[in-house]
Amino acid sequence: MDISNMATSAALKPVAFHILASLADKEKHGYAMMQAVRELSGGQIPLQTGSFYRHLGQLIAAGLIVESSGRPADDDPRRGAYYRLTPRGRETLASEAQRLSNLLSAIGPLRPSRKGSH
Amino acid sequence: MVAQPSVMSARVYALALRAYPRAVRDRFGAGMRDAFAQDLDQARRRGSLRLASFVAVSLGQAIWFGALERLGLTVRPYQNDRFGGRSRSGSWTDVRDAYRSLRSAPLVAAVAIGSLALGIGANTALFSILNSLVFKPLPVHEPDRLALLDPGSFSNPVWEEIRDRHASVGTAGAFAWSVERFNLADAGEMTFVDGIYASGSFFEVLGVGASIGRTFDAHDDAPGGGPAGRVAVISHGLWQRRYGGALDAIGRAVTISRQPFTIIGVMPASFFGPDVGRAADIILPIGAAVGTRQAQLRTAATWMNIMVRLKPGQTVDHAAEYFRAVQPQIRVATQPDDRRPDQHLADDFTLASAANGRSTLRQRYETPLTIILIVVGIVLLSACANLANLFLARATARQPEFSLRLALGASRWRVARQLIVESVLLAIAGSALGLIVAQWGSALLVRQLATTAVPVVLNLTIDWRVLGFSAAAALVTSILLGLAPAASLSRLVEGDVLKAQGRGVMADGRSFTRSALLISQVALSLVLVVAAALFLRSFVMLTSVPLGFDPERLIVVAVDSQRAGSPSTPGPELAERLRTAVASVPGVASATVSYTTPFATRGWNGFIRIPNRAALPERESLSWVNLVFPGFFSTYGMRLIQGRDISLQDVHGRDRVTVVNEAFIRRFFPGENVIGLRFSGGTATDDTHTIVGVVSDAVYRSQRLGVPPTMYAPWAQQEPFTTFSITAQSATSAAPPRQAIAVALMREEPAVAYTFRGFGDQYHASVVQERLVTLLSVFFGVLALLLAALGLYGVTSYLVGRRRAELGVRLALGASGRDIRRLVLRRVVWLVGAGIAAGTALSLWAVGFIQAQLFELQPRDPVTLAVAAAVLFAIGVIAGWLPARRAARIDPAIVLREG
Repeated sequence: MDISNMATSAALKPVAFHILASLADKEKHGYAMMQAVRELSGGQIPLQTGSFYRHLGQLIAAGLIVESSGRPADDDPRRGAYYRLTPRGRETLASEAQRLSNLLSAIGPLRPSRKGSH
Repeated sequence: MVAQPSVMSARVYALALRAYPRAVRDRFGAGMRDAFAQDLDQARRRGSLRLASFVAVSLGQAIWFGALERLGLTVRPYQNDRFGGRSRSGSWTDVRDAYRSLRSAPLVAAVAIGSLALGIGANTALFSILNSLVFKPLPVHEPDRLALLDPGSFSNPVWEEIRDRHASVGTAGAFAWSVERFNLADAGEMTFVDGIYASGSFFEVLGVGASIGRTFDAHDDAPGGGPAGRVAVISHGLWQRRYGGALDAIGRAVTISRQPFTIIGVMPASFFGPDVGRAADIILPIGAAVGTRQAQLRTAATWMNIMVRLKPGQTVDHAAEYFRAVQPQIRVATQPDDRRPDQHLADDFTLASAANGRSTLRQRYETPLTIILIVVGIVLLSACANLANLFLARATARQPEFSLRLALGASRWRVARQLIVESVLLAIAGSALGLIVAQWGSALLVRQLATTAVPVVLNLTIDWRVLGFSAAAALVTSILLGLAPAASLSRLVEGDVLKAQGRGVMADGRSFTRSALLISQVALSLVLVVAAALFLRSFVMLTSVPLGFDPERLIVVAVDSQRAGSPSTPGPELAERLRTAVASVPGVASATVSYTTPFATRGWNGFIRIPNRAALPERESLSWVNLVFPGFFSTYGMRLIQGRDISLQDVHGRDRVTVVNEAFIRRFFPGENVIGLRFSGGTATDDTHTIVGVVSDAVYRSQRLGVPPTMYAPWAQQEPFTTFSITAQSATSAAPPRQAIAVALMREEPAVAYTFRGFGDQYHASVVQERLVTLLSVFFGVLALLLAALGLYGVTSYLVGRRRAELGVRLALGASGRDIRRLVLRRVVWLVGAGIAAGTALSLWAVGFIQAQLFELQPRDPVTLAVAAAVLFAIGVIAGWLPARRAARIDPAIVLREG
């Protein structure tokens, strides 16, 4: 494995990774994204509304997520905006997934029973 | 029922979202509210504890993150690069690091926050009292247009002249009022309530209306009552206390000071009248005045204050000019027959801004409270000095860490910033807790200000001034705490400490800062100890002023014999009947009647003129007056020095006689044999009195005022008062029996109202201000002393710890334990000595400010100063002795091995 590559690509925070991942299948509104993060992380990331939107704001600012212009026809008007990944966001998600998987395979033989660190 | 809390929570959450900048709210607000609502549903299904914690966390997050957004502090999606400079530069990281660093030393943090909370809390408590007493504007319409007419108080004729001719010309309106205590009981033991008599223009000029019913106006302010009869407006507080907030309280009849009144309105809860510190629970029109005040409506007795409302744009000086211009007119129109023209309204009218009301409490307590505020400010400084020393020690202990960071390329500022953030964090936590301490402390203090006769009601709610004050205190403390440790970094050389870390005899680069801190702390403590000692001595001197009578076995029954609803005054024999009834109670040795009693709030004075002699200056020609029954002096244990007591024969129609005290002779007839001499004035200007006796001096109103010239005139030779005092002397050493006296009074005359006054209460009330100042200054003086001792102890211990190796070597080389003790103590003695020298100089300067607060004591009292210095020195040396003893017991073998 070429570890020289890892040094240049910065690691995403777990929260940011999960938020991007929550949009991998389709566009969603905020609360659906939160729920997806909670499920994806198996409760490891107990996301609260405040911190979720804090991260969402930054991911939008970083150009990884955008607000969708349209909304589904059967939508509840109380839901806020819908969001989707930008091409760059999809790329980042893929490369982060790759990085993590590389990391996993690198430590494969030493894999501890619990507790991994970045 | 279930929906309601969630609707409310949603509303509160929406409100909390306002913490976010508008742009963020517009963008995410709907989504956030939706997510909150959904999660709220989830949380509710999992129990009320879960629900509560969810709501709390959500609200906290909304406010906190909102604030962070506003500050432009955002999160990064990428993980921190621990070794790069870029990601370690955010202020947020500093806060987090500081928090972690404090959490790793919980004891230090707890001590620091605790002492700051106490210090800032005490300061804030005093400030919030001063704030409500001095700074808060009256809760009325445009309070800054109100002004108080000086000097002092005015008679009703003067007020009527101003009302009828001048108020509407010179100003936008005026009102008169007087501070009163009203009795709400029909008969029997009195129930007192604070209130005021106010003119019909009162509510209109203040610009306040009733919350229920109506207020009164000029029509109601007619002699004996207007078209609606005698009307009363009551406060929100009294309405709640007495009528349970019932709406039908309006229109109810109430007996106020033995006369029937009808309640016509209730004031809003925020209204307390024009006097700060006092609740106007009952407001009566002046025209409906009862008792003594009714009699004074037509006399020149001065008992009213006058407040005016300035015209828009009119200055206080401009309005005052108007009043001065019409003063001669007013003087002529109201000239009383029995006063010389040059004595009537002699002082020029002036106006003083009254935006924050009038307050006798303010006059009494502004200076003492300011002094105490300065005292607790010094205590806070002293606590800061201790903490700064503690942090300095910590910073020194962390030098290897800092040194390493400097060596790795961190800037000095970068490292110092963390120390500063730590102290800011402590100060914020301290002042937040301090606000709670202040709320509790100020309420406690206000309770101390109150006496049985004078309740104190102050609005102590926290406003922007109080918040600003405690924020300023936090700022100052954080600067004081952080500065010294941060400054100590400047001398740190990269990698230096890494080298020195091994061991050795290290020059202590910080010792100068530390010594300076300690010396100033000792100096400030000395100032406080000196102040406390002065107040204590002054208080002891004040309370040991001879009273001139024996209060032990006395009790006073103040009687109001005016019959409810009856305008006629009861005959003069009533006082004698009641006196006899009290005197015949078993256990009562004797009973006497007088107009007033020592320490009572009621007083009477008049100008004395001696025939064929030059008049003394006005202020010096005053004598206090009491009207007494025969036997008054023996009941009070006052000695008759010359001549005779007042006798039963001294009645109307006979020559007016009087007994005067020694102070009276010293003032008016120094060195003369006064028996048989005559003078006029005192009771009334045209009364001429013959002196028949001289009695020993006794306090009239309070010990602070001392023994003034006093004349005792026979009760039976004056118009009878409907209110008077019966003093009963116990036959035993126990206090006279209240219950039996009450029963006897009621049996004799069921219609009278009475109240008991023990001399204990009155005595306490007369020195409450001095007692409070003494207590507080002693308390804080001792606290400062302890803080200084703690500081000395801490620093000496620390230094001994640092010099362990050196001291061990000294011991190994043959120094004795005594040598070591002397070595350590020498430094302590030097520090304390320098502190005391500086403190003495500081005290000599500072005590000048408290001179006015001291009773017959020179503030630069050398004995007090010497004692205070000795106490401080002894405590300082003890604080240094303990670590010195420990130093002497160092085992050199162990120390040498450690190396």
